[in-house]
Amino acid sequence: MIKARFPVLFFLGFLVLFSGGCQTTKQPDLIVSEKGAVELRAIQSRIFETNDEIRTLRTVIATLQDLGYTVEEVEPAAGTVSAVKLIHLKITVTAYPRGDSHMVVRANAIINVAFGRGRQRTQVDSPEFYQQLFFEPFAKAMFLTALEVDDPAAPALPDLPPETEDEQADLRLDPMQTRPELIANKGTIP
Amino acid sequence: MKRSVSCIVALAILLCLPGCGMTPNEYALELGKPPENAVKLRAVQTRRYDTVDETLLLISATQIMQDLGFTISESNGQLGIIGGSKQRDAEEAGQVAGSVALSVALALLGAYVAPTWDKEQTIRATVVLTPLENSSQTDVRIFFDRLLTNNHGDLWRSEIILEPEIYQEFFAKFSEAVFLEGNEI
Repeated sequence: MIKARFPVLFFLGFLVLFSGGCQTTKQPDLIVSEKGAVELRAIQSRIFETNDEIRTLRTVIATLQDLGYTVEEVEPAAGTVSAVKLIHLKITVTAYPRGDSHMVVRANAIINVAFGRGRQRTQVDSPEFYQQLFFEPFAKAMFLTALEVDDPAAPALPDLPPETEDEQADLRLDPMQTRPELIANKGTIP
Repeated sequence: MKRSVSCIVALAILLCLPGCGMTPNEYALELGKPPENAVKLRAVQTRRYDTVDETLLLISATQIMQDLGFTISESNGQLGIIGGSKQRDAEEAGQVAGSVALSVALALLGAYVAPTWDKEQTIRATVVLTPLENSSQTDVRIFFDRLLTNNHGDLWRSEIILEPEIYQEFFAKFSEAVFLEGNEI
């Protein structure tokens, strides 16, 4: 009797061990921030008083190089620059026009951290990271560049009200547009 | 003997330390800091040329990179950027011996750590042009870094190449190609 049960017990034991192993190795590819979309957008975005998309993207590239990133991919048509620093920190910066005289610059970073025996990619949502380690040097570079130009400085006014319903809906989602003081502060969020 | 054991334990702790107990945001804040020698590095990596002909500069940079064995992986004339890479062997006898010795020492203490050393490296080069506003000059910056793959096939390290000679060699060739003298900034 005991002899007959032994293979069954052995098989069950094997199954338990095997299923336990499967559960612990399952990890999501990327852990996204738990912050809300509006909050995250405010952390990651700034508005700059310029309509020169190419100069903005060139300044993004120069700033990333100064910070020690290697630029991996650029796409001016989409307004994106992707770069990586010391393998584990990846950043994608996008720049797109807002109205006739402003550019919105948004940075999104992913950090690859040790997790158990492997590594786990996690979205960076620290306001200090974006402010101190990207937007401050970037704003400084933009300001210096602006000083060198025969400045066609556009007035720091919010854009005209949108005409279509779609544009109005877009505006409601964007905290930058609902807070004109952000534009007046030339890209800094208080 | 006692001293060497404590040294090995201290070394093992140091190796484990980076990243331990840090949240992803803290790690990003640490890793995202600009290099300590950022200003000096920029000076080493940049030369100023008396031209605004970005096409000439980009074509010349591409040719020099190809002469140096790089494969071009990214180029964009509108943004004045070229990137490329090449693979090289990175194995060094000293590092292999050191890693094996450390593994043996840790095994004697009861901990199994597979010996790990640099096996291959990917050297990357990125050239970025910055035209100076209201000027007939352009800054040319080249950035070399390398990615190291270990003997287990994992990408495990990356570092910015700091040796000024490498940058000087590039700019010497580059200046010859564009028939211009590059000025240090």
